[in-house]
Amino acid sequence: MAGAVVVDGLVKRYGAVRAVDRVSFEVAEGEVFAVLGPNGAGKTSTIEILEGFRSRDGGTVRVLGIDPADQGASRRLRERIGVVLQELAVEPFLSVRQVLTRNAGYYPDPRPVDEVLRTVGLEHKADARVKTLSGGQQRRLDLGLGIIGRPDLLFLDEPTTGFDPSARRGAWDVVRSLTGGGTTVILTTHYMDEAEALADRVAVMSGGRIVAEGTPGSLGGRDTGEATIRFRLQGAGGRPPLPAGADVGPDGWVTVRTDREVEVLAGLTTWAVREGEALPGLTVERRTLEDVYLELTGSQPASDAREAGGNREAGGAPRAGTRAARRVPDRGAGTPGTTADGGRERTARP
Amino acid sequence: MSVAAGLAGHRRGSLRMVGRQVYYEQLGFWLNPIGAVFTVGFSVVFLALMGAAAGDARVPFLPGIREIQYYTAGFLAYGVMSACFNNLAISLVVRRETGLLKRLRLSPLPAWAALAAVVVNALVVSAVQILLLLVIARVGYHVAFPRQVAPLVVTLLVGGVCFSALGIAVSTLVPNQEAAGPVVSIGFFALLFLAGLWYPLRRGSAMARFSAYLPVRPMITAVFRPFDLGTGGSGWAWHDIGVMAAWGAAATVVAVRRWRWAPRRG
Repeated sequence: MAGAVVVDGLVKRYGAVRAVDRVSFEVAEGEVFAVLGPNGAGKTSTIEILEGFRSRDGGTVRVLGIDPADQGASRRLRERIGVVLQELAVEPFLSVRQVLTRNAGYYPDPRPVDEVLRTVGLEHKADARVKTLSGGQQRRLDLGLGIIGRPDLLFLDEPTTGFDPSARRGAWDVVRSLTGGGTTVILTTHYMDEAEALADRVAVMSGGRIVAEGTPGSLGGRDTGEATIRFRLQGAGGRPPLPAGADVGPDGWVTVRTDREVEVLAGLTTWAVREGEALPGLTVERRTLEDVYLELTGSQPASDAREAGGNREAGGAPRAGTRAARRVPDRGAGTPGTTADGGRERTARP
Repeated sequence: MSVAAGLAGHRRGSLRMVGRQVYYEQLGFWLNPIGAVFTVGFSVVFLALMGAAAGDARVPFLPGIREIQYYTAGFLAYGVMSACFNNLAISLVVRRETGLLKRLRLSPLPAWAALAAVVVNALVVSAVQILLLLVIARVGYHVAFPRQVAPLVVTLLVGGVCFSALGIAVSTLVPNQEAAGPVVSIGFFALLFLAGLWYPLRRGSAMARFSAYLPVRPMITAVFRPFDLGTGGSGWAWHDIGVMAAWGAAATVVAVRRWRWAPRRG
């Protein structure tokens, strides 16, 4: 499948600081690609370079076959992309229909306004002034403006921030219906469940680099790594067969961390059936995407953390690497590249 | 299709694009009651009040010229400046800081078309103000219309374009939307005071000589000329128009160098 987005060795500097440091990735047509990372990780700079909004200092970028830095092709590119910004940016005094109709006129083959109104659930608000909409409704209008031009590639920058749970599910359905029609989506979000629900692949950025890339289910080896088995012992049927290192709390809760969970469970359930134990609260969990994310973004070597301390992105926000490094100071420093999915993850560290 | 026909079609397409954008700019302007009242209503109400206060009084150092005649010319200039400078500068800061400019930049609408529509919108608002002011002056206070229409139209147009450039340039110097209103309006009203909008300024006075090289005074005196308010001779105030154009050119340089589509905050 052709790459809708191809990025190779992308570099962006602000003064002496490398906000984006030799980042490479590809996004296939029709794919949903999520970019995760703390504030200041370089996500916004990367996305804005892809959108043609910001210039780059190195590397090659092709978006729908077009170099976004090519001013001569910028209009052709913008006719084929849609952008949903983090900021709520719509003229307050125009009606919803007026705003959509105006923006539809910018594109060669726009979606009909009524279709967009239905898609984002604003048909009953078509003639309402934008300023009278609730925050969630305005975000839906934002989404409508992103898709009005029938984009081949849609950039979603934290699209459901401020949505209630039901509105989030609605927005996810819209995104799924778009990708079902072949639209490629690049998503940035701070919600791990959103990335898990929507993304085919995820890249985690930290300190201007991609520190991991893979499917949401396999990122950081979370599909094959250590599992945590928990249950509560309540009867007096004796002690179950537990591997060394199992933790039995005073309240009866037992926690077993193991990479041989099938074997442990087989022994445990055989024992429970024999002894008549119900094993209440039995769960088997792997690390969540959030666990993996925190490990990845918090496991930068000290040199990176020092660099990040003085680092600022275009908007001037302090980079979060230092904070993240403090939050998880002892986890695998210097080993951010251990995925178990065939080495999809990459680091740009020299 | 010949190259000439292709170019003509392209030009028509570009004009249509700007025209369409101006339509939505106009909608946005007039549907905002506070913006419309402050930009247009202010000059209209002030002219009416000053006309009522002046009665049939004459300007002491302009023999035979009624004060309302003086104020009418001044407020025509003011109308253009308030729409093209004051309102434009504030609105551009707000648009930049709320992300509206960024969104526009990410759409296929060319940057030149977006900015042209903003300037044309300001000129249209100015034209509406000018018509309202002339009607009020004529009907309410029997003010004579300008004797030379072409110099008046050209002066107002050049002034509109130059003050638009100044408005865009100043918007790039204001760091956030909270500062936009106070910074732009206080500077503007200080210049108006120096330029003698609120009271007849005697020609040759120190203040008149000083403010002749600031942008506002030349606009006001250049608008007086076609009314023949004791200035005599041609309706063309070439020196004043030249000073305005110089300010416009300098502002264009600043605007081009400092312009940004993204918010400064953050």
